[in-house]
Amino acid sequence: MFVQINDLHFSYKGAHEETIKGFSISITKGEIVSLLGDSGSGKSTILRLIAGLEMPNQGVVVVNDCVCCDDCQFMPPEQRGVGMVFQDYALFPHMTVEKNIRFGLHKLSRKERNERVEEMLALVNLTEFRHRYPYELSGGQQQRVALARALAPKPSLLILDEPFSNLDTSLQHRIRDDLRRLLKQTGTTTIFVTHDEEDAEALADRIVYLGEGKIKKQVMTENNKTFNPQIPCFV
Amino acid sequence: MNWHVVKRQLNGWAVLSFLAILFIVLPGVVVLVELFAPVNENWQHIQEYLLPRYVRNTLFIMIATGALTTIIGTSLAWFVTVYDFPLRRFFKWALILPLAIPPYIGAYTYHGILNYTGVIQTTLRNEFGITVDQAYFNIMSIQGTVFIFTLFLYPYIYTITRAFLHNQSSSMIENARILGRGSWDIFFTVVIPISRVAVIGGVSLVLMEVLNDYGVVKYFGIQTFSTAIFSTWFGMKDTSSALKLAGTLMILVIAILTMERLVRGRKQFSYASTKVKPLKPRPLHGWQRYVVFAYVALVFAVAFIIPFTQLAAWTFLTFDTVFTAAFWQLVWNTVRVALIATIIILLFALIIANYTRLFPSNMTRVISKVTTLGYSIPGAAIAIAVITLFLWLDAKVLDVALALDLGQTFVFRTTLIMLIFAYVIRFLAIGFNSIESGFEKVGKSFTEASRMLGWNTVQTFFRVDIPMIKGAIMSAFILVFIDIMKELPLTLFLQPFNFSTLATQAFKYVSDEKIHEAALASIVIVLMSGLLIFVFHKVLDKEAD
Amino acid sequence: MNKKYAALGLSAAMTTSLLAACASTEDATPENGSDSTEVVNVYSSRHYDVDQELYKQFEEETGIQVNVVEGKSDELLERLNTEGDNTEADLFITSDAGNLYQAKEAGHLQAVDSDVLASNIPEKYRDVDNEWFGLTKRARVIVYSKDRVNPEDLSTYEALTEDQWNGKVLVRPSENMYNISLLASFIEVNGAEEAKEWAKGLVNNMARDPKGNDRDQAKAVVAGEGDVAIMNTYYLGLMLNSEDSEEKKVAEQLGVFFPNQETTGTHVNISGIAMTKASKHTDNAKKLMEFMSNPSAQEKFAGVNYEYPVNEAVEPNELLQSWGEFKEQDINLSTLGENQQEAIRIFNEAGWK
Repeated sequence: MFVQINDLHFSYKGAHEETIKGFSISITKGEIVSLLGDSGSGKSTILRLIAGLEMPNQGVVVVNDCVCCDDCQFMPPEQRGVGMVFQDYALFPHMTVEKNIRFGLHKLSRKERNERVEEMLALVNLTEFRHRYPYELSGGQQQRVALARALAPKPSLLILDEPFSNLDTSLQHRIRDDLRRLLKQTGTTTIFVTHDEEDAEALADRIVYLGEGKIKKQVMTENNKTFNPQIPCFV
Repeated sequence: MNWHVVKRQLNGWAVLSFLAILFIVLPGVVVLVELFAPVNENWQHIQEYLLPRYVRNTLFIMIATGALTTIIGTSLAWFVTVYDFPLRRFFKWALILPLAIPPYIGAYTYHGILNYTGVIQTTLRNEFGITVDQAYFNIMSIQGTVFIFTLFLYPYIYTITRAFLHNQSSSMIENARILGRGSWDIFFTVVIPISRVAVIGGVSLVLMEVLNDYGVVKYFGIQTFSTAIFSTWFGMKDTSSALKLAGTLMILVIAILTMERLVRGRKQFSYASTKVKPLKPRPLHGWQRYVVFAYVALVFAVAFIIPFTQLAAWTFLTFDTVFTAAFWQLVWNTVRVALIATIIILLFALIIANYTRLFPSNMTRVISKVTTLGYSIPGAAIAIAVITLFLWLDAKVLDVALALDLGQTFVFRTTLIMLIFAYVIRFLAIGFNSIESGFEKVGKSFTEASRMLGWNTVQTFFRVDIPMIKGAIMSAFILVFIDIMKELPLTLFLQPFNFSTLATQAFKYVSDEKIHEAALASIVIVLMSGLLIFVFHKVLDKEAD
Repeated sequence: MNKKYAALGLSAAMTTSLLAACASTEDATPENGSDSTEVVNVYSSRHYDVDQELYKQFEEETGIQVNVVEGKSDELLERLNTEGDNTEADLFITSDAGNLYQAKEAGHLQAVDSDVLASNIPEKYRDVDNEWFGLTKRARVIVYSKDRVNPEDLSTYEALTEDQWNGKVLVRPSENMYNISLLASFIEVNGAEEAKEWAKGLVNNMARDPKGNDRDQAKAVVAGEGDVAIMNTYYLGLMLNSEDSEEKKVAEQLGVFFPNQETTGTHVNISGIAMTKASKHTDNAKKLMEFMSNPSAQEKFAGVNYEYPVNEAVEPNELLQSWGEFKEQDINLSTLGENQQEAIRIFNEAGWK
């Protein structure tokens, strides 16, 4: 499996009860998985654990054959090769769109870096906004920058935290279609968190229902059955 | 716990933070140990004859200053934020300027203005033949002390409350207006309750300044806790009892800080939403316009224009005798020592703040608490602890030098290092507080985003964290720099050979009863602080936009 | 791994800035133990511009560099206490015999055997063991309003506690060293009981709560708050020569009265100099001490501050001469130090703020 998570446990400091109680999942390459649950179900916490922003009490996280975390080691987030789009986008306000996208490309040569930035700007359709600062963009544009920035270093796994919560409804609909096309186009394995079932159905191949820190049920979406030319069926 | 949890806690940030904390804790420990040492006969004497008066005076000054600064600070913040009146934009930052006048300079300036040979009485006597009752012109009293503290410390409350009102309350105030409440009503039913937390933060700063002041109460001859510490130490030669008093004072300050934290609780000063809508000031009409203007102008005149003018006049009077080539050396000394200490403080503050933010745990919570404690340790205790530490250090250096047969040794006590070290202990809290609140305001997601993009904590620190809190670093720099420039007791006690600053020079003249000669050094302090405060204001304004 | 290097880098940066801090102070730092420059390190509680001139003159004459820490007496003394045998100071200049005594008692001083000092400074103003030497004398006297007080009504410090002066006496707070030494001298002359009675009596006769400095007492007399004040003569000298014409006017309305002329004499204190036990430059220090006691230095050193020089070969300033000669308290100045603690207690018990 491309992403393998086994028996993840986690509790916040000072809390008596575990927020995550034995979460396990396997994800194939290129699959889009949605974690769906009410607030407090621990869905964002799972993302933060996969990203390496929180340390689990126990459990194993493997991404792309690389053991990110088990009982004896903990790989810091910068070494995991996981990309993340934050709920509030977290675009660096002191950098232009272009610099934001360029930020994660320090491992490439200058030439490759320039090419990659152009490519990403084109992908999210923001080439003419490259010199703008984040606060000069609309909410939808900001989200696209955040996505481009996360995708630019070609992460093995992309995670998105409530990607639509800051957008108004009409925009939300258009963007989630765009987003799915884009993710499939780049073949990016993706996990995203939402509390909106409609979002999950529109964007994901598989929906994982969460409750009280555990998986309640998993469902394949229509997307997966009808339109999925690039990845092999794994069920 | 897995062992990698431990490993994660023990990184470079932690090690450096622990080192910094060690410095701060040191004098605190000296004080606390002494607090539990057995009492001597002096202590009995102090308790019987002095303590009641010290406590009474200190409490009176604290309560009265706290109340008056609150009234003046919040009312000014309210007027400047909510109303439009002549020169409002100027007053908005000018009202912070009294902070540029250290209270001890304000104290001797006002005494100089009001006393028998001062400009007021002289004019009345010579021009109008009026001789006044001295009792009305006596500022060297406990009421006078409150007056001085109020004038030069209210800006702490004014700035915090103004920033709060400006950024947070517009919708609430506008709602209240729509609901037809009068201004007076809004001030008491909306503004005071919602800005309570900000006001209390400001008041606690004022009270700590009051408790630790040495210059004003010493000059006015008012017996308070801080004069008691020094007179027990120097007068009765009783370090033990002095430290006991210092410990009592420290506990008092910790109590104030804890109360402030409790009230603040979870209500942090961070912006609830990123879209801050500033309040649009409402024009005033008719007599109201002039009443508000007169009030604001009066406060500004009394707290800044009048003392500044007097200092300028004295400077002209004594300029030829006081201004020598050596004066430039004084200015350079002052700037240099403040600059070095400020930079070190900012480095420490950044490291500790970043550590406590990135790795939240009980340990880091304790560390951030301890950092702010530095502010509560009385100057006298810091001086004792620092000199004791450096004696030990110099002895060790000498041992090593003798063992290696090096002959000439380096003596730390003859350098500025000792003084700078003491400044770091004293003022780290101020730098830390502004940087911590800067981090709080920014939140953690930018740092996390950077790490998700492949940068480690240190790289992120330089590429993202520091640029993001530039404003907070700038304000921390200015606040710490001004405080060091004004600092008196530590500088007096720990200065190396051939080293004076503007503050110690002014103080020497004043203690030789040469008030006029002290004016030049004082006015330079005021001008430099004033300039920095102006910059500070600009930074804050830019931050708010 | 990276993190560790970065942490190292950060600490290196901090060390560098610390080193920069000391490097930049090098110019002001005495080089210890070095043979190339001769130095003498002074802790001084005098800070007059003329002192600097004298140091400069000394440097030119001898080639010995004078390094100075200026501070208040009690702070410098406390610094000596804390530093003990490790102090870098060679000389201690302070303005109160009590402080000199304290330093001697604490074992910080050493005897200096010098014919020059012995001939320049009368025995009365030297320590019995030659551990400290007076440089200037200052008299604590009664000043009175020329308009309202007939000097013939004045006699002694003790008489100020009589009913006649009820509500008319002005004096500064008790924490001041000059007051402490004054009371210490009374303990010596009259005994602790009488000294306490005096302190209580004076508190009873005070025109107001003690506040301000000596100059403020002078101004309060002229302003009519009280009729007489206890103060040091040299402040009056400074006021008479002030750049501020109003201060001058005040001083001109005051008379100087030397009390206890028929009895125990007027209280005199000294400012003095002493060599530390730990001194690393004893020869240089001795030279500076001798230099300070020489007539030319004495004239400047005392003159500029309207104090009385200890060197009897030097005439006091003209102004001081115009106030006339007077009988001094005949006590061993060390007693000012011996009785210091008791004096502080008595002040507290008498309620002298």
